[in-house]
Amino acid sequence: MKTWQMIKLGLILAIYTIVGCVGLAFVYNSTSKTIAARQASDLQSALREVFPNATSFTPADNVKSSSSAVTFQSAYTAQGPSGLLGMAVQVEGSSYGGATVLLVGVSTNGTITGVKVMENKDTPGLGANAANPSYYVDKATKTTFPGQFTGKKVTDPFVVKKDVIPITSATITSRSIASLVQFTGKAIMTALGSGSSSQTPVPAVPPTTAERPAAKPVTSTVKGVDILETTVTTSGANVISATAKAKAPSYDGFATVQVTVSADGTITNAQVLEITDSQGLPVLAPDFAQQFIGKKTSAALTVGSDITAVTGATFSSRGTAQLIKATADALFMALSGGGL
Amino acid sequence: MKRLLDIFLNGLIVENPLFIIMIGLCSAMAVTTTVANGIGMGLALTFVLVMSEVIIALFRKLIPASIRMPIFLVVIASFTTIMDLTMKAYFPALSKSMGVFIPLVVVNCIVMGRVEAYASKQPVLDALFDGLGMGIGYTWVLIALSFVRELLGNGTLLGMQVMPSSFSPMIFFILPPGGFLVFSFWMALSNQLRKKILARRKLGAAGDGCRTVPTSSVAEKA
Repeated sequence: MKTWQMIKLGLILAIYTIVGCVGLAFVYNSTSKTIAARQASDLQSALREVFPNATSFTPADNVKSSSSAVTFQSAYTAQGPSGLLGMAVQVEGSSYGGATVLLVGVSTNGTITGVKVMENKDTPGLGANAANPSYYVDKATKTTFPGQFTGKKVTDPFVVKKDVIPITSATITSRSIASLVQFTGKAIMTALGSGSSSQTPVPAVPPTTAERPAAKPVTSTVKGVDILETTVTTSGANVISATAKAKAPSYDGFATVQVTVSADGTITNAQVLEITDSQGLPVLAPDFAQQFIGKKTSAALTVGSDITAVTGATFSSRGTAQLIKATADALFMALSGGGL
Repeated sequence: MKRLLDIFLNGLIVENPLFIIMIGLCSAMAVTTTVANGIGMGLALTFVLVMSEVIIALFRKLIPASIRMPIFLVVIASFTTIMDLTMKAYFPALSKSMGVFIPLVVVNCIVMGRVEAYASKQPVLDALFDGLGMGIGYTWVLIALSFVRELLGNGTLLGMQVMPSSFSPMIFFILPPGGFLVFSFWMALSNQLRKKILARRKLGAAGDGCRTVPTSSVAEKA
């Protein structure tokens, strides 16, 4: 009796759901074409703005994001009358009020040809001015906030209040967009530069050495630090260095780093693989992690004294630096303990 | 006819969903930074509210009490999605500027509350007028809020510059604290008006009671 009742209720619910779904299917069918056409025409006009001289755009898929906080929605190579002009990427990242979508165009010589804010949910009147075509950061030359990126080199520092003019009372929006443009610009250059090169630089390993997974797991004594995988490099019977990937909470997200420590306790390679902090993107710049290379694991490695924080991402810099230090310590401890 | 008109007028001031029942405040605060958003959100919610109330009232005898909530949600979610897709197709700018608040109409307390408290127990025609009254009651408040906030916070109305260029926009009104301030002033005004309406309506009889929600249970907000 009770089972029968339950089946009956389930069937009734199913009927309502089916009717609802059929109705939605009809609405979806009649609106999906209009929606797709509108998005495509938005994108086309944005692409034209970024590359006014291009004759055609071809979808490309060789641009890869090295951060889970940033998604490359689509990429197009722009062909001009005399060959390849550059590449435009539609990128989604986070800003003050949620997801922001930009279209970033970079020419083959590493110059930004244009940035267009496609979607932005920041505070109206403040951060939303990023997408306002009549808001000028430089009234004399009528330069809009995204407009000022045109002509910049992707290798420029992109520091707000230095080489990027911020939107008044919207520093966070300005920073997020500036670092998103820089991040995308660099990814485009990687894709343009070597076609299909991988982004992870392989640590230089002398030919006589071999790599293998560590014989025993390495753990960190620091709370929250999670060492994901460890490999060791051996020369004959001697372990000469160990590399570990580790993850730990940072400011409001997680940071993942890869650290290599030699048997004498020197950091020979350090890299920030991923950061999910809302404002942490600048930490991914290789310049930050490279500061650790050559340092001893016994050094304090604190941000402010021997490590310089990335401007605009002090908390993420601190979190990442602590993680690199903890990983290096754990590796050195394991190396000196032997049996890896 | 008089009865239906009463039901309709009820939602405007006397039992206004935002000022008296005080539900659905978060979306009201968040979208009222521009008048265009206020109108868009108000009409979108009115559409979902009216359609859901009518459908639920129509099928109220065919909805088993023990699974009424999931059925309400299916109905509301269907209409919200229809409205969301239509807006994306025909009013893309509006849909973009309201962002996540359009899909969130599904869980808007006003829709859920009116469907549960009213439509599931009343005939179709009553539910239709209740939906219209509540929806328009919600819409006028959004327009009133966004009018003040956009005018003082941005110096514009419907995107057009109306304040002289010497006027410096008071960003405070765009930000949440300003929103609450404007809300409370409008609420005071509306409650004053409500008192007068109630006094004129019946001197002595029944008094201050809401049609469906007794004032004592007003505390049950979301």
